[in-house]
Amino acid sequence: MKFAFTDDQLALASTVRQVLAAHCPAAAVRQAGKAAPAAERLPAWPQLAEIGFFGMLVPEPHDGLGLGLADAILAFEETGRAALPGPVVETAAVAPGLLGDDDLLVRLAEGRLRVSVRLGDQVYAPDADLADLLVVERHGELRAVPAGSVRLTPQAGVDPVRRLFSVAFGSPEAVDGGKPQLGRRLDVSAVHALRTATVAVAAQLVGLARHLLETSVEYAKSRRQFGAPIGSFQAVKHQLADVAIAVDFAAPLVYAAALAVDRAGRTAPAGGVDSAGPTVAVGEVDRAVSAAKAAAGEAATRAARVALQVHGAIGYTGELDLRLWLARVWSLASAYGDTGVHRSRLRAAILGTPDLTRWP
Amino acid sequence: MDLDFTPQERAFRAEVRDWLAAHVPERLPSMDTRDGFEAHREWERLLADARLSVVSWPERHGGRCASLVEWLIFEEEYWAAGAPGRVSQNGIFLLAPTIFSYGTAEQNDRFLRRMARADDIWAQAWSEPEAGSDLASLRSRAERVAGGWRLYGQKTWSSRATYADWGFGLFRSDPESTRHRGLTYFLFPLRDVTVRPIAQLDGEPGFAELFFDGVFVPDCQVLGAPGDGWRIAMATTSSERGLTLRSPGRFMATADRLVRLARSTATDPALADEITRAWMDTEAYRLHTFGVARRIASGEEIGPASSMGKVFWSELDVRLHALAIQLLGERGLLAGDAPDAEDGGRWLDGFLFSLAGPIYAGTNEIQRTIIAERVLGLPR
Repeated sequence: MKFAFTDDQLALASTVRQVLAAHCPAAAVRQAGKAAPAAERLPAWPQLAEIGFFGMLVPEPHDGLGLGLADAILAFEETGRAALPGPVVETAAVAPGLLGDDDLLVRLAEGRLRVSVRLGDQVYAPDADLADLLVVERHGELRAVPAGSVRLTPQAGVDPVRRLFSVAFGSPEAVDGGKPQLGRRLDVSAVHALRTATVAVAAQLVGLARHLLETSVEYAKSRRQFGAPIGSFQAVKHQLADVAIAVDFAAPLVYAAALAVDRAGRTAPAGGVDSAGPTVAVGEVDRAVSAAKAAAGEAATRAARVALQVHGAIGYTGELDLRLWLARVWSLASAYGDTGVHRSRLRAAILGTPDLTRWP
Repeated sequence: MDLDFTPQERAFRAEVRDWLAAHVPERLPSMDTRDGFEAHREWERLLADARLSVVSWPERHGGRCASLVEWLIFEEEYWAAGAPGRVSQNGIFLLAPTIFSYGTAEQNDRFLRRMARADDIWAQAWSEPEAGSDLASLRSRAERVAGGWRLYGQKTWSSRATYADWGFGLFRSDPESTRHRGLTYFLFPLRDVTVRPIAQLDGEPGFAELFFDGVFVPDCQVLGAPGDGWRIAMATTSSERGLTLRSPGRFMATADRLVRLARSTATDPALADEITRAWMDTEAYRLHTFGVARRIASGEEIGPASSMGKVFWSELDVRLHALAIQLLGERGLLAGDAPDAEDGGRWLDGFLFSLAGPIYAGTNEIQRTIIAERVLGLPR
């Protein structure tokens, strides 16, 4: 057993990190939060497309890299670290498992198709105005709908970059011969899509938390009060140490969940690519997914809370880029089920208590 | 990256599981009583006969050269089987790695085999009345004499020392030195030392004070070079803090028992949520340890990052036991011989034992400061 990333997996993450450092600086994230044209709201997307980022999970016959979620999980972590704008997880992680169509998969792999989703009981579709295609779950069925054929209502919120939209069907433009345009039915498992989204977002939360910890440590080293750097005070040190511990112990749960989703995806009857690999009990996969999201959400929320406290009043302003990372943590911590929901699902699985929650 | 055990690892697990199923005794009396101590010594000998007392050691010292992953498998099976606590743990987990790294060939041959069979049970002698978390302020001293050294001073909180055979610890061998310099690592038989038992929270003499009044130690019982004791001891304490002592197996077994208890008891939803969190954290600790094991196996030094594990497991262990006691209500606090005691008082024993975790091997306050300064790079 080797619970460590391979050189290839590390190299992929490192490449993504370099691209994001060059093409998605904090200023670009800030600009994406303004009323800007789509091109400015998607920094680094063309460069990520060039390195094959959007084809990571697309099968090789469709011009993708044919990787599993576990191979790409560190790359998703990097998109969190950089607070990369746009429907990243929905396009690069979820869509490859949903779209069976040759042409769509090729476009996806080339970075010419952006996708947003509204799965399960999820209320809003994130970044839907930037998507070409929406995948929505209605009455247990997945449908792919061209974004132009539904009515999107923006629901402005705490995160100016990751915008949320209500999706309504049957808009006048969408009516075709009196029937609402419901798009094409996708014959794949919504469960697999939801698990994938949840774990990829958990990885982004780990990345966000790592960035917040590094930023807070740097600030605590340079900010002086009482004649000393505030990072020399134990009350500050111990808070940051607790963030480091929370992140260090959340990350392995996320990586293990990615492995579990991959194994389940290989054996799932609906979304299955092939039937190789050991079978996994469904309860085990959902436990791994929920543990990952609960722990990553909690670690990132703690990192955000401590980052704000360590920065003090300057952190409470819109002047610092910090606020963009704080908002993304809050936004993603509640996406695809928050910590409470996932711990409740875990509780039901472990203790046999009724599961009263809805996921997401 | 994978979490799949190899056929060899699965075969090893099966062997260990079968042996334990056939040999694990009924609960032994506390190892902090004289009878219990000897009963635990006998159990160690039975383990050694099956070459299971120190699986990761070389074969010539009684082990079977098990990999780190195999050692973790052994630990999972050991604690899941409800096997006794390890009376020899200070020797086999703390001292032995240091002897492997710094001992002479003669010291390896003289001490390790006997340690593996519990012929010698070892106690640590780090702390002093005025040197606890601040170990470098220690004042016990060693004086150079012909052929060796004489030890003077006082040590305290020496686990197992009441009944153990040998001790190991640091003494100031250079009277001009301060702090981390001028310390030497000594190995000494406890029969030459005055031992005063100290009752712990559970009333048993689990640790002791040691008084040294010119105890003679020959040169062949100095570990490493004179004056180099701090560096050598730090290698040992990072074993105690990190991977080698605290395998996840024990916490996994405790979490399983807690979940079984919760399933069989009317559980308040708030408590159920905390139990779920503790279960999840146990899983996180297990996975984290697999990651650390892999890094060690590929030659990486873990260093101060091991402090993160120490904080995590010690606080997890307290939570696991405290939750069980909350589930049981007043019954949770009954001693093992009370008529209504649950599971022979194991939860209470475990709870009291767990409370020492955030204190020993460097308190968790010290650990958090180490993490902040040496992992995150914050200023001193």
